[in-house]
Amino acid sequence: MELPPEEAVRQEGLIEFYGSFKEMFEFFCKNTTIHGTIRLVCSGSTRGKRALWTLLLLASFGMLYWQFALMFSQFWSYPVVLTMSMHSEPKMFPAVTVCNRDPYRFELVREHLEQLDRMAEESLSFLYGSSFSSERGFHGKEQNGNGIGNGIGNGNGNRNLSSSGFRLSHNFSLVRMAQIRAGRKRSSVGFQLCNSTGGNCFFKTYSSGLDAILEWYRFHYMNIMAQLPLAMNDSEHQEHLQDMVYSCQYDGEPCRPSDFVHFHHPIFGSCYTFNSKGTDPFWTATKPGIPYGLSLLLRARQRGQLPLLSPVAGVRVLIHRHNQSPFLEHEGFDIRPGIATTIGIRQDEVNRLGGNYGRCTTDGADVAVELLYNSSYTLQACLHSCFQQLMLQECGCGYYYYPLPVGARPCDYSQNPGWGHCFYQLYSRLRNHQLNCFEQCPKPCRESLYKVSAGTAKWPSAKSQDWVRQALRHQNGYNSSSSRDIAKVTIFYQQLNSQAVHEAPLLSENLLLSSMGSQWSLWFGSSVLSVVEMLELLLDTLVLSLLCCCRRFGARRPPGGPDPTPETRLELGEGRPAPGTPGIPGIPQLRGCGGGEELDLGQGLGQDLGQEIRAERV
Amino acid sequence: AAAAPGKKITARLKRTLPVRGPQAPTLSELMRWYCLNTNTHGCRRIVVSRGRLRRLLWILLTLSAVGLILWQCAELLMNYYSASVSVTVQFQKLPFPAVTICNINPYKYSAMKEYLSELDKETKKALETFYGFSEGKSKVRRSVDDWNSTGSDFFQQIPLLKVEELSRTATELHSGQKRRVEGSVFHKDSSIVNSGDSNDIIGFQLCDANNSSECALYTFSSGVNAIQEWYKLHYMNIMAQIPLETKEKLSYSADDLILTCFFDGLSCDKRHFTRFHHPLHGNCYTFNSGENGTILSTSTGGSEYGLHVVLYIDEADYNPFLVTSTGAKIIVHDQNEYPFIEDIGTEIETAAATSIGMHFTRSRKLSKPYSDCTETGADIPVDNLYNKSYSLQICLHSCFQKAMVESCGCAQYAQPLPAGAEYCNYKKNPNWMYCYYRLHEKFVKEQLGCQQICKDACSFKEWALTTSIAQWPSTVSEDWMLRVLSWDKGQKLNNKKLNKTDLANLMVFYKDLNERFISENPANTLVILLSNFGGQLGLWMSCSVVCVIEIVEVFLIDSLSIVLRRQWQRAKKWWSHRQRGGPGTAQAGDLEGQGHHNPACLDEDLPTFTTALRLPLPQDSPLPRTPPPNYSTLRLESAFSEQLPDTLEPGRP
Repeated sequence: MELPPEEAVRQEGLIEFYGSFKEMFEFFCKNTTIHGTIRLVCSGSTRGKRALWTLLLLASFGMLYWQFALMFSQFWSYPVVLTMSMHSEPKMFPAVTVCNRDPYRFELVREHLEQLDRMAEESLSFLYGSSFSSERGFHGKEQNGNGIGNGIGNGNGNRNLSSSGFRLSHNFSLVRMAQIRAGRKRSSVGFQLCNSTGGNCFFKTYSSGLDAILEWYRFHYMNIMAQLPLAMNDSEHQEHLQDMVYSCQYDGEPCRPSDFVHFHHPIFGSCYTFNSKGTDPFWTATKPGIPYGLSLLLRARQRGQLPLLSPVAGVRVLIHRHNQSPFLEHEGFDIRPGIATTIGIRQDEVNRLGGNYGRCTTDGADVAVELLYNSSYTLQACLHSCFQQLMLQECGCGYYYYPLPVGARPCDYSQNPGWGHCFYQLYSRLRNHQLNCFEQCPKPCRESLYKVSAGTAKWPSAKSQDWVRQALRHQNGYNSSSSRDIAKVTIFYQQLNSQAVHEAPLLSENLLLSSMGSQWSLWFGSSVLSVVEMLELLLDTLVLSLLCCCRRFGARRPPGGPDPTPETRLELGEGRPAPGTPGIPGIPQLRGCGGGEELDLGQGLGQDLGQEIRAERV
Repeated sequence: AAAAPGKKITARLKRTLPVRGPQAPTLSELMRWYCLNTNTHGCRRIVVSRGRLRRLLWILLTLSAVGLILWQCAELLMNYYSASVSVTVQFQKLPFPAVTICNINPYKYSAMKEYLSELDKETKKALETFYGFSEGKSKVRRSVDDWNSTGSDFFQQIPLLKVEELSRTATELHSGQKRRVEGSVFHKDSSIVNSGDSNDIIGFQLCDANNSSECALYTFSSGVNAIQEWYKLHYMNIMAQIPLETKEKLSYSADDLILTCFFDGLSCDKRHFTRFHHPLHGNCYTFNSGENGTILSTSTGGSEYGLHVVLYIDEADYNPFLVTSTGAKIIVHDQNEYPFIEDIGTEIETAAATSIGMHFTRSRKLSKPYSDCTETGADIPVDNLYNKSYSLQICLHSCFQKAMVESCGCAQYAQPLPAGAEYCNYKKNPNWMYCYYRLHEKFVKEQLGCQQICKDACSFKEWALTTSIAQWPSTVSEDWMLRVLSWDKGQKLNNKKLNKTDLANLMVFYKDLNERFISENPANTLVILLSNFGGQLGLWMSCSVVCVIEIVEVFLIDSLSIVLRRQWQRAKKWWSHRQRGGPGTAQAGDLEGQGHHNPACLDEDLPTFTTALRLPLPQDSPLPRTPPPNYSTLRLESAFSEQLPDTLEPGRP
């Protein structure tokens, strides 16, 4: 048992194993840091005491794992808390889009639009009597619009689209249908849609003729507008700015030409987006209040170029985030002409936690739908893109009002006669959540919402309207006898501090570890390192029993043969004696496995302790 | 001879210093001692493990556990100052807020005639020159003749100019002669509205009176804005000279403004309104201002139980140049708040019924260190000029006014007067307007530092408004309603038939009596933080505060003392060697390695436990045999005589 004195000073091996199980347990019991358990294993005591310790150990084990289970089940359900905070850092003014709700007649499709107007007149006189057609027709007002029309396409005005073979279809005429429902006769107006082979027809009906005509008109209008080349040159319409925005001031200073972007919306007409990029320091909001907001003098011209398309007079205003495409048909509000409207805005922010805590996307890069809008991700843009792609798959052409992917062409019934049928069915499926667009499009992780409240006052006042109109007439070429077509809009921050709602994890990894640690300390008094100790013990036991097996196997062989004990190979090059002879003093590891020696383990231990004591007495 | 005083000093030190020496004479032994005796896990294993790989692994494990503890605790500390928010919605009897109502037009135009006639003449002349606008041509002609006789040359100082952009020459209104515009031109090429055929822009020029080459030209994208701004500039000068009492008389009385009043289903009258003079909006009337000590509250929500007033807006008596819109302005605020009607007031329309539904929200933020807000504003170095409770808006305005008085010598008209200052007018301060515009530009660019000084208020109340408008009175009810209202008004004033465009109907009410209270609370307390610390320490190393103290003791104090002592000895050696000179240089080298092998060192040292007990040196024993800390009492023999055969059982055949 005693190590030879030269063993003490010999060099330490790279890996050393215990000589016997006894030695290993002795070492473990002496040096372990685990509380409680050790009493069970290492302390020899009466049976009653041991039973008590087992019970205590089991109880604390049970408590510990019960608590762990509670904690982990809570953690893996990924609970979130909403925290609300007030921010008051200086921020940018939001992007503001203003549309005059007066789409223009493009010269290229003028002829078709005139035809359509005539068709509409015919339908109206067919449905509601002939009194209508005697009055001024829809295209009677074209003279007013001529100025613009000529400006757009004088040169190629005659290179008309009749050559492309597009003709207005008379298949979709409006009809009145009488239904007997609940004992009362009700009539509805609608038009028929069939698939490309003419089968599977259904009526799209409306209880009010007004809605039916508007929808019918929009349907035809889409087909006509689909004839226009995709890359329309908007710069030709730049002159409209002076016609629409008479004055623009932000924070008391005039706006600059770089501050706005123009686009034409097929229904909402000329639109201008102010501060669309949100990077110019000119548009930082320094103070809340009306004097520091955006003030616009607008002309809400009721020219009525397409009276059946946009029967509303006024200006559509939309306040949105920078780099976000304005969805005028979904959001925004209208302002009346002849009125000064002051719109106070307040910003609310929503921040969602992505990942395990819920589904959201930061920039839309991880969304399966390819975004057709070249702006930042919004839910609406994703839904539109998703729908457009389904439309292309199922109907073979793109919906005109949504942007088109490269290579696709918008629908028109001269080429896809059944697209209306296909579209309306697809759309109703989208509305009933039968398409998976809503699943494919997650919410954005960061959203800004603008809360709006408005006040109105008559403008210009009776006393001042004379000089105001004179000034406008002189400077802006305003020529109208009625003052009911100019409007003043002021958009301002009501307060600069915005309310932000954040999602935060209720139980972060950090806190989870802390509470695990406190539970562990409370019930078990051990640490991660103690567990590693246990693992080490386990590993050692494994290796040692393996060695024992080998030893026993080797013992049956005739002595003198090469002994392939693994530990000897491990300790090669450590200045040990050559392998092969078991039991030499250089390899004390296998002594525990020797036959008969384990019988007097107690004695051996006693000797060991005795030696220890002796050593201390020297 | 030189060593003797050194010995004396050490002997004295030994006697007087209560500090005992470290547990071991050298650093490595100290570490060994620590690892064997500490209660933290891992460290003991470094020492007692056999095999270098095992030892290395245990060193790595222990160090990574320490690292994890430090990282996690740092994260806990960083998240300490976070706040959680609670939102409570309670239904209760809500106090009705104060509602301040102003006419958009501040003063009766007819009464202001004598003050403003010159300015108006000038404005009309400008309109005629620039836009060919004329109303009553003869009058204007006469006013041109009057011009020189009036002797007022203030308008001449700041005339309206027509700026022809390319040549940058300005046509002056009066003389008609062109002159070059000097100095810096603001907003020069900034107009998006290129005014069609006439390429000119209207604006005005402000010059430094002391240094006439310093000029700033202000242009506007629209002539409407230019004229209004120019008019307002002169108007403020004129108004600044009129005393407050006169101004109050020139403005509307409560009888003028309010025709009928209902609150909570009961009739109310002008006694419920408090007059409040606003510099830009004239006389305003605050309903439920709480001035007489009582604050009204509504019994239930809904439009029936709110404030319902009919306002008389005399459109014919409007100032045509100062205001261009018709209506009234209202603001809903707390009784202690100042109504910033010019900034955030809501306009209401004439000939219409405007109903405003309110939703009440009260918020409270935690002040420092959770966020940077102020409870009362007392810690902000800006005097509150408004005698109302603190808000960010008040602070910004006060800060600007202070800067104005400091740099321009007089106070701006739209804000309250600081003590000892008076409002600017160009009779006394001919330079103020240039100064003001410069200062305001600085303010907007945040060069005045006001935005940095002023902080948010920690608690605030907010009434979110929802407005809806209906036409009023309806065509069928118009007739009788106007007749009744005219008769009512006729009782009070002269007999005059009312027009429906002179009336505005306003309803302000609580949509519901729910109060939403958003309050921040600290998410962490010290107790939670400490228990989290404890958890982390326990999880990785089963450590506690005591063991942290232990670490500090061993690794800082003891190690330091060992190092210092060694340095001291080396210095002494070096000194004595120098005294002796020559030999002994070789000995200095092996002194550094082992302190206690050196007999000299043993003599000099304070007694440590090894030297004191005369125990054999640790190298001699095969295993460190310092008293095992934890289970030395276990009776190992009996444990193993029972235990091991069982464990070995599977190993035997």
